Amino acid sequence: MSLLTLDRETGRWSLAGSKATWVVLGLIACLTVAGFLLSDRFGTLRNFSNLFGQAAFLAIIAIGQTLPVLSRGIDLSIGSVIAFAAVLTSGLIDNDPSMMLPVTALVLVLGVAVGMVNATASHFLKVHPLIITLGMAAVLRGVMLVYSDTPVGGTPEDYATFAMGRIMLEEEGLTIDIWSGSGLSLAGVFCLLLYLLVYFFLKRTRSGRNIYAVGGDPDAARLSGISVYRTLLVTYGFSGFCAALAGIYLVSQQGVGSPELAVKAYELDSITPVVVGGTMLSGGVGGVGGTLLGVILMAMLGNLLNFLDISTFYQWIAQGLIIIVAVSIYVERRRRE
Amino acid sequence: MLSVSQVSKSFPGVKSLDGVSFSAEAGQVHALLGENGAGKSTLVKIIAGVYQPDEGRIELEGRKRVWSAPQEAQAAGIHLIHQELLLFSELSVSENILIGQQPRGRFGFIDKAAERRIAREQLEALGHPLDPDALLKDLSIADQQMVEIAKAMMADTKVLILDEPTAVLSGKEVEVLFRRMRSLKETGVAVIYISHRLEEIFQIADQVTVLKDGQLVGTEPSSNLTRETMISMMVGRTIADLYPPLQLVSESAREVLTLDRVSLGRNVRNVSFALREGEILGLAGLVGAGRTELAHGLFGAQPLASGQVLLDGKAITPLTPSKAIGLGIGFLTEDRKGEGLFLDMTLAANVTAPSLHEISSAWGRDGGRERSIALEAMRQFSIAAHSPQAKVIGLSGGNQQKVLFGRWVRSCRKVLILDEPTRGVDVGAKSEIYRIIRGLADDGVAILMISSELPEVMGMCNRVIVMREGLVTGELTGAAIVEEEILHLATLDVANQAAE
Amino acid sequence: MSEEVRREPTGMTASGVSYADHLNRYGIFVFAVLLIVVGGLTSPVFLTSKNLQNIFTEAAPLGIVVIGQCLVILVRGLDLSVASVMATAAVIATEFNAVSNAMIPVIFLVCIAFSALVGLVNGLLVTKRQVSPFLATLATMIVLQGIRFSTTKGAPSGSLPEGFRFLGTGQILGIPTGIVALLILAAFFCYLLHKTGFGRRVYLVGNNPAASNLVGISSDRVTISCYVLSSVCACIGGLFLVGYVGSIDNFVGQGYELLSIVAAVMGGVALTGGRGSILGGLAGALILTVIFNLVLLNGLPSEFQYIIQGVIIIAATAFYMLRRTN
Repeated sequence: MSLLTLDRETGRWSLAGSKATWVVLGLIACLTVAGFLLSDRFGTLRNFSNLFGQAAFLAIIAIGQTLPVLSRGIDLSIGSVIAFAAVLTSGLIDNDPSMMLPVTALVLVLGVAVGMVNATASHFLKVHPLIITLGMAAVLRGVMLVYSDTPVGGTPEDYATFAMGRIMLEEEGLTIDIWSGSGLSLAGVFCLLLYLLVYFFLKRTRSGRNIYAVGGDPDAARLSGISVYRTLLVTYGFSGFCAALAGIYLVSQQGVGSPELAVKAYELDSITPVVVGGTMLSGGVGGVGGTLLGVILMAMLGNLLNFLDISTFYQWIAQGLIIIVAVSIYVERRRRE
Repeated sequence: MLSVSQVSKSFPGVKSLDGVSFSAEAGQVHALLGENGAGKSTLVKIIAGVYQPDEGRIELEGRKRVWSAPQEAQAAGIHLIHQELLLFSELSVSENILIGQQPRGRFGFIDKAAERRIAREQLEALGHPLDPDALLKDLSIADQQMVEIAKAMMADTKVLILDEPTAVLSGKEVEVLFRRMRSLKETGVAVIYISHRLEEIFQIADQVTVLKDGQLVGTEPSSNLTRETMISMMVGRTIADLYPPLQLVSESAREVLTLDRVSLGRNVRNVSFALREGEILGLAGLVGAGRTELAHGLFGAQPLASGQVLLDGKAITPLTPSKAIGLGIGFLTEDRKGEGLFLDMTLAANVTAPSLHEISSAWGRDGGRERSIALEAMRQFSIAAHSPQAKVIGLSGGNQQKVLFGRWVRSCRKVLILDEPTRGVDVGAKSEIYRIIRGLADDGVAILMISSELPEVMGMCNRVIVMREGLVTGELTGAAIVEEEILHLATLDVANQAAE
Repeated sequence: MSEEVRREPTGMTASGVSYADHLNRYGIFVFAVLLIVVGGLTSPVFLTSKNLQNIFTEAAPLGIVVIGQCLVILVRGLDLSVASVMATAAVIATEFNAVSNAMIPVIFLVCIAFSALVGLVNGLLVTKRQVSPFLATLATMIVLQGIRFSTTKGAPSGSLPEGFRFLGTGQILGIPTGIVALLILAAFFCYLLHKTGFGRRVYLVGNNPAASNLVGISSDRVTISCYVLSSVCACIGGLFLVGYVGSIDNFVGQGYELLSIVAAVMGGVALTGGRGSILGGLAGALILTVIFNLVLLNGLPSEFQYIIQGVIIIAATAFYMLRRTN
């Protein structure tokens, strides 16, 4: 495919790919240049390697949010699922190494189940997912607080491997080490693989294409023989899975799960990279490629502001402005006739 | 091929179909005619499994069938193409054709090359090749319709139902569609065809079935029918005079609205004409000729690129809708539900929407005044509604259109722009609307009537201006207003003409 | 003509409104009354005047915010920035470090002017730039949060004049001040919505923005006004909440953005715009507050608030949707 295409209607040449891709790439380039100019620590290999790992958490929740948004919905239960998953993981493992795998599996299954309940309720009660997932968020938060309203349990040191592990190439081959400051972040590599997998799922499988169809026009999808319900199950099941995974990541990183996580509004954080990456809230347009760019942009922004000793408070201002600028550039003007 | 017998279907308060029998033969086009609300759509939706009948049976190739969902009917080879196309504008042509049934290769991944190939084959079989990679949103409506038909033909379609496919097509595109329908029918498909345009029935249909008030009036080979017999079957009475008598407007009548080299939007260029007091001026042309854009421009709903508009000799541009309303200009849109009515609101709110200042005082809105205005409109246009508080969503198409007339007749004393004033209105209500338009013109309102229905243009207008691709290609007056001449001007190749 | 009449909708009452409509319109009030009866039966303390006064005083700031939220939802919008506006207004008020009660009107005016500006930005983004309301107000919410934290360095330090406590806890003629303010605002906005041309425009725009443009109503202008009014309501609600709570931090009103949407939706204000009323939204706010109160009175752990809240959100919206589709 050529980089330039000619629009037959207007006779104007335009760049291939969506506008969003180019806007975000441009912003990332600006940040990189600014980083090199303003800070001597920014442009180091070590920092880029760190950045790669730091972006993992946002990457996980953002890819989870991408699918519901593509299907013309939204998942606002993500924040509560993260907190619940974290508390449950550390509470159930309770420093028992033999419990690590079963509990992790159980929590992931629970995440998928929560998402499927969201999809089922929204589909059969015909209520917008915004409301359903908001309700679900409240319910889960309550259930979590009933389970424990203080940080509970804990995890063995090995459990930190997921979030903190670094892959290193040594003489005896690839090794994974938790405490090393160098090497590639395991979680970062995991996220890249996850994005690749979901990219192919969305582009090249029927279920993936069905998500675009349902997001584009649910009625048309239904009458084309697509099961809207099954598509939503996949969509919200996946976002629930990612939220649970994000909760596990936090436990892995911090060693313990805290109910306090529920107030951090991660669900709103997850939306920023998605929409900045060009996935439209109106559904059917976008993809995980854009989300990945959005994640990189937000992670770099945080990283750079950090080096410049600018408080995270300003990061919020920048985040809000980026949403406004990006989204108002993407919006297509309504056309008459 | 397909037969339904004694099918009935009721919705709350309305018996939509009452013991209708109908059959479609392989290799034939069977037209389904009737006024709005006659039950045509209900019948085809039952055939296609969208609705389930209360009584009666459906047989396909001699076997009794019951559908509980449209997917089942599709699997059996019955495909309904709705008025609103069921396509995905952000997906490509090939994806639209194969959605849900993409060919799969290794690991269950979609085989893109095969997908493209199949889509291309389908379109070529229809004789309508399109780029399979083009995004649907970049295609014309006619091409999109072909994609929809190609999608329908993916399944082994035995019965293809088209619900008013030509409503959004231009003359040339209709020709293309009809050619495809003829070739489809040669392959042995049974085509069921719904249309409002009687002229088309003679061109394409082998059999005609007429429904009225949910009951079967009759089925006849189209060769046995004339335009008049069809109308009388549909209406149940002969409309001897659908159109009120023309009133002559003298050449010297005052010019109310004058357009001076108006250009706007994508293709309306240098349009100049004048509209006289008491005159009904037709604006004919194919869909996409720029007539609706021009109407929006004259009402201030879309900015002019250049040129100016004069009212009573004074320039009124730049214009906004509220300024236009203040000057006595009204605009009745072609898109009644999309940008005309406030469907969930009351009749009174709909009628008074452009004249809120009339029912407002320093102390707020005057409910009594609002009610009396609405009652007056109901009486004047005989709108069938139980009260001014009725929601317009519950009214029939004809009554909804009359509500819009009620809205504009108060505020617009000078110019009324009508865009397809009888679209989606049944024949009975049509003649009422024609009388309303005539009455307004007789009161001195200058009327600009955009219409794609040539009989209506010929029956109603003192003068006709024809547009093609944004340009005025000619003007016809009096006896010169004949179908052939309008069509000639509407399809005139402007570039060639200039070259001659 | 007889066939036209045949197609009239059935199931009408004498007033011409269908039974289903009545249920949609008044169901929420019936539910509120039922809930109060249940409250009275399950807890002896519930119906005491002291407890009822507590409920209403607590409901007042939420109710004030809900009024604005209803307006925005009526024009097919959503305002996620209300909580941030509440907190920002509160922070601005303390930044004055005023001691004299005479400064209160000045503080109010400055806060209202600031919040009106925020509403204007929201409205402009939604109309002129066609940003989805969810994202536009999410963005202003985040920006405001950043501004608030960076100016206060994380912890607001100023103080409020004594008179502010009166706003939250005082009484006028035996009625808590917050309630008085809520009643005045509710009466004003009900009048505005149901008895003026502006109110009719709000419904027309919410029902069909394209059609309202073609009857000479600037849907942009009406929409922007609603966002401005919503922000102003949030600001007033925030100042009353500060008066009630008595202390100030950067998170005053946190959660109110979702609570206010939930109250409006429960009260029958449709997210698709053009349907519902402020009174419904206020009933929704009252119900939410009563539920919180009942959870506490019945000795349930406060966590149950969330569970019940979530279930009620889903149940109420499902009720409206299912009624409408039938």
